[in-house]
Order: sequence, then C-alpha cells, then structure tokens
Amino acid sequence: MVKTLSTRVFRGLLGTSCLFAQEDLGAMWGTALAEAEYYRLVDIPIPPEIPMHPGSFENLPENQLAVGTRRGDIYFLSGAFDENPQPTFELFASGQDEIFAMSWRNQALTVTQFGEVTRIRDTNGDGQADDFEALTNHWGYAEGHEFAFGSKHDAQGNIWVALGLSGSYHSHNFLRGWAVKVTPDGTMIPVCSGLRSPAGVAANAEGAMFVIESQGPWNGSCSLKHLKQGGFLGHPASYNWYPYVEGQQVPAETPQSNSRILVEKKRVKELVPPVIRFPYIKMGRSISGFQLNESNGKFGPFENQFFFGDYTLSLILRATTEKINGVWQGACYPFREGLATGIMNLQFTPKGQLIAGGFTTNRQWPVRGEKPFAIQRLDWTGKTPFEIKEIRIQSNGFKIIFTKPVDTETASRAGNYVIETYTHNFGAGYGSPEVDHTNPTVKAVSLSKDHLSVHLVIEGMQESHIHDFDLSGVRSAQGEPLLHHDAYYTVNEIPSP
Amino acid sequence: MFQHLLFLTFLTLLIPSSAEPSFSWVTSSDLEDPLKGRILIEELNCVACHQAEESFPHSSRTSPRLQNLTKRINPDYLQKFIASPHEVKPGTMMPDLLAPLDPQQKQQVAKELTHFLLSLDQETPFRQEAIDPVAATEGNQLFHTVGCVACHSPRSSNGLELIPHDSVALGELSTKYSYQSLRQFLQKPHLIRPSGRMPDLRLPNQDLDRIVHYLLQKTEVPGHLRYKTWRGKVWEGLKGDVTPEKGGLAKDFSLAEFRDRNGKVAQHTAIQLEGYIKVEQPGEYRAYLEMNGGTLSFNGSKIIDERPSDRRGMKKFSAKTTLQKGWNSIELLYFHTGRNADLKFEIEGPNFKRQPIPSSLLSISKTPIPVVSPLQVDPDLAQKGKAHFGNLGCAKCHDDVKVDSPEYTAFAALQQEQGCLSQTTPKVHYHLNPKDRALITKALHQGHQRELTDLEKVHKTLTTFNCIACHERKGLGGISTGRNSFFTGSAEELGDQGRIPPPLTHVGAKLTESWMREVLIHGNRQREYLNTRMPLFGETHVGHLVDLFAKVDQLEQATLPKVQNIQESKKAGYEMIGADGLSCIACHDYNGQKSGGAGALDIVHVTERIQKNWFHLYMRQPSRFHPTVIMPTYWPGGQPIRPEILEGDTEKQIEALWNYLSDGQRAKTPKGLSRQSNEIRVADETIMVRGRGTASYRGIGVGYPERISLVFDSREMNLTHLWKGEFVNIGHGRFNIRGENRFAFAPGIPFHRLDSLDESWPYKGKANYTFPQDHGYQYRGYHLDAQKRPTFRYQYGTVFVSDFFEDQVEKDAAYFQRTMTFETSQNEEPFFFRVASGKKISEVEKGWQIDQLHLRISPQPDLIIRDGEPQELLLPLTLKAGKTTLNLEYRW
Repeated sequence: MVKTLSTRVFRGLLGTSCLFAQEDLGAMWGTALAEAEYYRLVDIPIPPEIPMHPGSFENLPENQLAVGTRRGDIYFLSGAFDENPQPTFELFASGQDEIFAMSWRNQALTVTQFGEVTRIRDTNGDGQADDFEALTNHWGYAEGHEFAFGSKHDAQGNIWVALGLSGSYHSHNFLRGWAVKVTPDGTMIPVCSGLRSPAGVAANAEGAMFVIESQGPWNGSCSLKHLKQGGFLGHPASYNWYPYVEGQQVPAETPQSNSRILVEKKRVKELVPPVIRFPYIKMGRSISGFQLNESNGKFGPFENQFFFGDYTLSLILRATTEKINGVWQGACYPFREGLATGIMNLQFTPKGQLIAGGFTTNRQWPVRGEKPFAIQRLDWTGKTPFEIKEIRIQSNGFKIIFTKPVDTETASRAGNYVIETYTHNFGAGYGSPEVDHTNPTVKAVSLSKDHLSVHLVIEGMQESHIHDFDLSGVRSAQGEPLLHHDAYYTVNEIPSP
Repeated sequence: MFQHLLFLTFLTLLIPSSAEPSFSWVTSSDLEDPLKGRILIEELNCVACHQAEESFPHSSRTSPRLQNLTKRINPDYLQKFIASPHEVKPGTMMPDLLAPLDPQQKQQVAKELTHFLLSLDQETPFRQEAIDPVAATEGNQLFHTVGCVACHSPRSSNGLELIPHDSVALGELSTKYSYQSLRQFLQKPHLIRPSGRMPDLRLPNQDLDRIVHYLLQKTEVPGHLRYKTWRGKVWEGLKGDVTPEKGGLAKDFSLAEFRDRNGKVAQHTAIQLEGYIKVEQPGEYRAYLEMNGGTLSFNGSKIIDERPSDRRGMKKFSAKTTLQKGWNSIELLYFHTGRNADLKFEIEGPNFKRQPIPSSLLSISKTPIPVVSPLQVDPDLAQKGKAHFGNLGCAKCHDDVKVDSPEYTAFAALQQEQGCLSQTTPKVHYHLNPKDRALITKALHQGHQRELTDLEKVHKTLTTFNCIACHERKGLGGISTGRNSFFTGSAEELGDQGRIPPPLTHVGAKLTESWMREVLIHGNRQREYLNTRMPLFGETHVGHLVDLFAKVDQLEQATLPKVQNIQESKKAGYEMIGADGLSCIACHDYNGQKSGGAGALDIVHVTERIQKNWFHLYMRQPSRFHPTVIMPTYWPGGQPIRPEILEGDTEKQIEALWNYLSDGQRAKTPKGLSRQSNEIRVADETIMVRGRGTASYRGIGVGYPERISLVFDSREMNLTHLWKGEFVNIGHGRFNIRGENRFAFAPGIPFHRLDSLDESWPYKGKANYTFPQDHGYQYRGYHLDAQKRPTFRYQYGTVFVSDFFEDQVEKDAAYFQRTMTFETSQNEEPFFFRVASGKKISEVEKGWQIDQLHLRISPQPDLIIRDGEPQELLLPLTLKAGKTTLNLEYRW
C-alpha cells in the first residue's frame, strides 16, 4: 500500500506544479519521455490550405492513407508512411457529413457519416469519387449529439454502427442508443440497445465486435462494451425501440438506479456487463476510436491487442480481452501520452505504424493536447519496453505476462503485487466515483520457467470489480523498472477450476 | 432690444481659445488659399443668410435638423447649448447668437427657444439609460479603430481628447444624448445631419452599441446594484481564462437579471454585484449564502471567501459583520459553476428578520443621482421662443423649422472686416480665429465668382468631406502623423497596405466607373482586412466624384496584345494564378478563400473593379503606384520570369491573367487554392454539401456554376429549396444557405397514393419514426457526371427513380431543368407526384405559377391544384412497366 500511496502523491505533485491551468483534466502519467525511447511520435505535416479535422482513417492500396474529416471531406495521402513523412494530399470526395469511420473493400470506400452508411467509388478512374451509394440511412437523425460511429467491415462484409443518444441523454429518434449492423446489400439489422455516447467500434482477434463509451449516466467510467446480439448495454433510454425490432423483445426488467452492475445483471438478464472499465482520469477521460494491432510484430510485443485514443487527455491506451464463461472481459494498460491534440481515431498502417489524429474544439470539451488539429504517427523504435504485456484471469488469481524476463527476486516477492479492487455506482447520475474498495491478498507468486510470466494466487477476488494492479516493485532481469507499472482488470466472471 | 445690447461683446473674451470652430482639415490641406476660404464659407453656411447666386447654396453645409428633439436631446443640454454654444461644445460651428445679451436675458431667451423647439413634436420625453461598462471598453477599442478618430479626437484612457484642436468637436455627449437617441442618430446620421459631413459608417448593430456605450460612459442613472459578469473558466477565479461579458444595473441579489428566456443562467458565469445597503439599526448582522463559490464583502472587508469548483455542488456559508447606521458598501462576487448552480443570499440583524435584502434598501450611490425631468412645454414661452427663432436668424440655417426671419445683406454686397467678419463688433459670434477670417475674406473677393476647374472640384470635395483624413492624394495631402497609428488592420504581413486605406492618386484611371459608384455611393468594400471602414457620405454630396475622377485622372495607354486564341490565353492565366505558376493565390485571397499567406485583396472580381489599362500598367511595375507595395514585379524590366508561358510575351501573359480573371467566379478554381473558408463558393464545377441547417438533418445542398442552388432532402427524397447567388456557409455537419430569391417547398415525400383528395400529404412528423421507409421509400445515393452534377437515386416501392438537375441559362436568366426517370418492372398502380406547393398556385401560359416560381413540365400533363395551406400541385402518374421520363423546368 505504501507504494500505491507514493505513486498518488507523485501524480498530485505533477498536477499542481506544472499544469495548474489544466488541473481539471487530471495529472499526467509523467512517462512520456521514457515512452519516446520505444515509441516515437512523428508529426504528419498538413498543408495550410487544407481544412483538416480528422475523424477517421483507412489504409488504401499502394500505401495510401485515406483521411475522413468532420467537414465531410476525404483526402488520399501518399507518403504518410515514409520515415520522414511529407505526404501529398489529394481530395477524393467532399460534401459528406461528419465522417468518423471508413473501411476499404472491393475497390470502394464505405464511410459511416452521421446520417448514412455510404459506399463511395471512383468509377471513371480520374482519382475523384463519382458514385455515392447510400447503403442505409434508416436510423433517426434529427437532433444534436446524435453521433454515428462505424466499424471496419467484419468478416461477412457488414459495417457495425453505434448510434449515440439524442443530446447524450434521451432517445427521441429512431434507434438512438442502439448498435446496428449494415449488410453489404444495405439491410440494417438492429443488434443491441443501451448505448449512451459511443465513440468507436472495432472487432477483436476473435471477431467479436465492441464499442467504446464515455462515462455518463449508466456508465460509471469509460468502458469497452460488447455488441452482443440481443444484448442491452446499460442505458435504458433506448428501450422504446424494441417494438420496432424484429426478433427482439423488450427486456422484462428495467435496471434500477444507484445499484451495481453485479446486482442488475442478475435482474436484467439481457444486460451485458462492460468488458473493460477504464478508471476515470487514470486511464483516459473520453476514450475514442480504437483498433486491433494485427501488425505481425511490426508494432512491438503487443500483437492482437486493442489500442485506443483518448480525446480529452491526448493519450494512447492499450487493452486485452478474453472470454470467460461466455462473457467478455479484460484489462487495460497505459501506453503513450503527450500527443498533440484531442485524439479521435487510430489506424495501424501496413508498415505497423499507428496513425493517431483528431482536433480540439473551441467550445464543448477541454483537451490536453494544444494543437487545434493534428495527424501524428507512433513508430516502434525496435526497442522492447519492459511492460505488463497482458493480465489473464485464473480460477484462483491472475496470470501476469511481461514483455521481458523478470528479475527472480523482485518478481517472486508477493509484496511487489499491490492489488486494490473497486467498482462503480450503476445508475442515472453522470459518471461515478470508485466505490466498494477491497484489498485482496496475494497468497502466492510462482514464476514461469522462462521468467516471462507470474501466476498470482489471490484471496478475495471480487466479481464485477476492477482489479487495480501496482507492480512498481517488479524489475526486469536487467534491473529496469516497468515503463508503466499500473494495469486494471475488470472481472466479470471468475473461471471455475 | 437686441440691437442696443451689441456693445456687450466683451463676453467673447471669456470664451477659451479652444472654443473657436476648427477647420484644420481644410486649413492644413495643400489647397490654394482662396479655395480654402471658399470651403469655409460653405461650411459656415454664410449663404443661408446672405443670399448668393453662385454654386454656394448647393454645396453649403446644411445645419442639423431639429425634428424629434424632445426624444433625442436632453432638454437641460439644449437650453445650456443655446445659451452658450461655445462653452458647452467648444469648437461647434453654431454661432453664439445670444452673445450680446446679459446673462439673465440670455438664460431667458434660451429657455424660450427651448420651449419652442420642444413644442414642435409630441414625442415621448428624453430618458437616460444605464451604460454597460464592458461594452464601453469594447467601444473604446472600436472608436479608435473603425475610423471615428480620423475626424474626431482620439482620447486617452480617461477620456481626455488628445488632439482637440485638429478635430471635429463632440462635446460631452453623455449630457446631450441617451443611449437610444445616440444609437438612432449613428444608425442613420444623415436623417439629422443631412450635410453628410458626419458619414454613415454602416457598422454592425453590435459594434454601434458598443461605441454608443463608450461615448456615453459618463451617464449616471439611479439604481439598486451595479453588476458585471464574466464568462469562461470561472472556477479558476477572475484572474484565469475569463472574458468580461456585460455590465449594468440589477434590482437585487437574485439571479433574475441573468436568466435567459428559458430561465437559465449560463453555466460558468461570474457575477459581481455591488452597491450600498441602507441600515436603520446598527449592530451585528449575519449573512447566509448558498452558492458554489464566491466572496462577500461589507465596507471593504471580506467575510466569506470560497474558491469555486466545477467538480462539486453548492455549499452553505454564514458569517457575521457589524454594520453602521446609514449606507454600508456591499459587494458579492458569485461564481455560477458546478452542479445545480444557484445563489441564495439572506441577511439577518437587529429587528431585521432573516430575508433577502429588499431592493428598497439598496442603491448604487450614497447620494441621490438626479434624473432628467421632462420639460413641460409652456405655450407662452414657446410662442416667445418662436419669435426669437425667426428674429435671431436661427430659421435661416435650421430651415426645416419654418419661421419668418429678417433679410440680411446679400452675399455679393458683403465687405471685409464688416458684419460677421468684424473683429471688434461681429454681428454674429462665430469665434473665428484671425487666420480663418482672413481666408474667408480673401475668398469673398477672389474665389467665388470663378468657375472651378474639374481638378479643383475634386480637391474641394475631398477636403470638405475630409476624405484625405484617410486617403492620400497627390497635391492634397493625406493621413496626419498624429493619427497615423490609429489606422490598423488584420493582415499584418501586408505592411502599410494592410492598414492604410488605398491612396486616391490616379484613382480615376484605376477603378471602373461601376466599382467607383459601388464604393462611393453604396459603400461596397473590398479590403476587409482594413479596420477603418469606408463610410457613406451620400450620393448628393460625393456622387459627382465618379465622373470627375475619370476626367481628371489620366494615364498613358499600355500596349494591349492581340489575342488570337482566347481559350489558350485563359488557360495560361489559370496556370499562372495557381500554385505551379506565379502562385498569385499564395498571397491573394481568391473567391472568398483565404490565401495561405498574406491575405491580400481577393482577386476574383478584379476585372470588374479595375480598368484594363491600369491592370497592364500596374502588373508591369506595382511599385510605381504604391511606393511601399510588397507585391513583386513578375516582369522585371519588362521581361517575364516565366518565359515558357505564351512564348515569354509579357503583354500576352498579363493579358492572359486578365482574360482568366474576366470569368470571375466562373473561372476554373486555381491549383493549390485553400479550402479553409467556411463560406463555400461555386466556381466552374458543381459543389455539394450536406448536414443539418437549412433542410432536415439529411439535407444535401448543391451549388451550380450558373449561380443557382438547390437543397435535396435525402430523408424525404424531396426538393426543398431553390435560390440564386451565393451558395452556403458550412460548419461541422451543417450548412446554411446564402444568396437571395429563395423559394421553399413544403416538407413531405414526393410520391404518394392518396386514399382520397381529402387526405393530407404525408411528411416526417416528430413521432412517425420509420418515415418514409414505411411509405416504401429507400434513398440510394447519387452519381456525379463530368461536371460533378449529381443524379439522385431513390426508390418508391418497386419504382426506381433517377433525378437529375441541370443549371441552364436563357436570356441571361439561370433556371433548373430537372429530368426524372422512373423505372419499374411492372405496371404500377396510379399515384400522385406532388410537383410543388405554395401559397398560391395557378395555371399560366406554358405552365404553372407557384408564388414566384414558374414551372413547366413536359410532356405537358393535366395537373390538379389542390386547395389548402399550402396549395398543392399534383401530377397523377400511371407508370407502365419500363422507363418513363418527365422533364421539369424551374424558373424563379
């Protein structure tokens, strides 16, 4: 506990000493300098004549990068993946609504804009789009804040779209608060209800589709949610559309406010508990677009893991998922801070670089990154950081996998694994403090033969709690401390032995 | 009575020297003396009394109109001003007609005149209003940037005039005007001052308001509390990132004054309320506050001080203070932030039960502030005043008030050192200084009989209206050194050109007649980066300059090349303008799009504004016309720096730029042009925008090169708007239409099978959630042709529709031709196409008239005009399997 305390004091100091004006956004991790040794930030220059508020990215054939903007333009960039990028920008299409998702398939770019999923093609080969095929525009779109975030194509060629509530609180228009699936022939299939303020949709390595949501009513902190067919993701404002959805019945129960997920998931059987909850401020504040790293090692040791942008804190976060007892859950980890602007979306490039971009707004939300807009790139330098690669749950504890072999002495000491648990209030109020704190005990630590993982035997694991790990005492075999010694595992289910 | 008092001229000696009217803009100009004198005669309107036959009567300065004085002018000011104009408003041109009277008589006559003038209208009485000190601060800034100080004196921060002698006098305006009356005057200054000397700056209302608050900031009116508000990150207190918002008077310590229409106080507002509380019984008082954060002080000492926080709700506070009998100062600084922000403030004390402080115990001042009392017109006094108005000659200048006056010596018979010009016993006291008097005297004998040359006429007008306060012209002068620093602009990279209004040397050889007229008469402006505004002086006063400039400003003829192939020439021009050529757009704005760099003048309309000859001369050597110009020459020594274009022929290259630019907005958009502007302008290709705003949230705006535009609503698959001119402004996910001649159709789907002609036409209401898919509609997108014109595609049941709009021109008027193709694999049940809707629909020759829209359809069908609001024009359609085409034309 002492170490946890000192960490918090350190964070507090950082907050007051250098960032008074931004105190409101919470303290920084303070790791940016160390992170740069492993993941370098590269700015992608934007010509001044181009209005560039990037909202989405996609890889194109021939090493081009597509950028979709809030203004409704789509630019094709050549040279964005070069070591020192000086890309050219060609306007491919304009006149669309705000574009927060793009996916290239079969010589066409399918974009999710606020009112529509559109398949855009250049049929005459002049480099500019001329065919704009509306796949669907059947959801209601008639109020502010009714954002639409889409996925890449899934294996069947569907685009999944998450529809934000009306004004973030209500569901006044058709299917607001639902996720829908749009098939290649333009059929729109409602999938699940209960969304509030989604900001990105993506699939994991197993092909399960997820959405990220910011904290608010019925969502104690930012969380990753599973778009489960027939599921209900927590916010009951969208119950009103069940009568319009074929094959789904309105849930028999409505969640009760000021309760806990643990209680309500037993009452409301459709309730799908959040897969990963990201502790507020510690792990982002407005998590946005995310994508799976499938770079075959080109981006370092974190293959098949999710990477997320954060709008308010200009961060990149990392997460892993696993399915226990048929329910998705997993852990999140700090990754990189100090980006230049509010991050709206991410894209892994064919070279295994991570593009991150976004913008700030004059009003609405505060942002830590100071540039009004930016496209940046994270390149792995080839050096492997000493990191918690992944935490997996076991019937009697957790398995922690590291990126490098650990030092036997520090890694074997139970006192170097400080674990605290807590959960959130589940209810109609905005966000939640961390509540119901417990301190499980580490009963035993066993080191794997290759020194790349440890198995912790834990007494007092808490279902439906975040397990907050502090491993600041653990060293690598070379004696390095962890680049980030924190990780947060959301336990929805405990596997049976 | 008046005559025998004339010897009392010693009074003049009491007038401070600054009281003399200033004609510095005339006397300091480079004009010849007789011309200066002539202008002085006109400015003093000598011929109002001294009849003349020459041109004077036409160009003399008309005096302010005296209509609606009751409402406009503080009656106390009026009487004081009439009694001693030069003391009340030093520098005024109004003569002191009462100078010969003794003080008592003076007051009496002034009073009678005031009663007479206020008897002329039945307006609501003059009433002062509280001033907003925040607006006044912004007004100060505007006053010193938009051009006011070109003629009036700039002022120090405490209001002291810095150049009083060389400026047009204002006097202390807060004693003269109310907020409303000064605002009304400044909105249309020529209604009251038809002489045009005070020009119309055509400021946006908000800016005008701020300037008025500034000019009247010394106004005091009684009230309970003064308030001031700030917006921004108020949780960091007032030293952080906050902006003052407004100020004024509040009734009490409630938030009533700060609520909007919905009863809400804007989150993140700081409110300061201060004044005095009147205490009957001295002793210990306790204050109770509920708020997020703020400070409460009595008599300068803080008793409650809580830092606000955006992260929590309200807190309760209570503290004691000792109050004296009588007035105690009180100040509350309140931060409206955090959860459920609200303010509750009560006090409790000896014989004073706990309650909010009632307004009756609050005042902004310990001593009463006097209120201007309306003047009750006494008919007898007014009658006497009327006689004075005639006898004193007031009616000669203020000739909008018709009262008989005596005749005076004719102008031709005037003698130097006599009458008004007498140094010792002037007939009328203008308080002219000896130099000005000498100029007038000189002009009396030399200047006025001679017809002025055209150049002299130009120079006389430019001097009279003080154009040279802002513009330089060779032979006449320009901006004075003392005022130079007040000319500012937003395009710093342009140097002096980015802040100083353009010189008028050669202007007649530079501007086209039509643009000259636009600028002078309609106040059109091109150089948005200049903070100084070109104001309007009125066509009657400066309209003649359009022809005169053209006559007097002559330059040599440039050699113009013969262009064989106009398309080749335009293409070369296109290449030179763009990023790969001379890159004109690197510095110049183009078609409303900001340039990447300097923000120099938008060149898209240059051929409409500039004479071709001048363009050729200027392009060859810009520095000839602007010694400090930053524009380089691209043909140094007459040789092109891009010899590969048009065989390196300088004249052909310049001509190519001209030819390209002659297409104006229709010219092909140059390469590398910025897309940053939120105003979207159409050039040679159709442009589309979409989002919320004008139509539904799924509206699609389409702007066509013939400068006509439409909105197609992709939700209802319906044509909703037509308009002409400028296209749209956009924001994130939204657009708003600009332009003019808007025509809007009623919302609703285009096709429907009506059960009966009584059934309402379906449209998307709030609660029909699945509309219009439930009526068989599917929107399918659009396809662009080579000119980027969309063909919309949608489905009505089993009918596939392709819907194409083309911009066409007939007799210079653009119109839309719409081709709708219906495809179906089966014979369709009949349905109606609602072709249009409007207030009034009638069948006319060759088609139908829907309000201002003329519609033609071919093949010409039989249509039904359905009554109702709106009326509807229904076209019955019975589609057979296969393709059916319908052509429509929209003219409006």
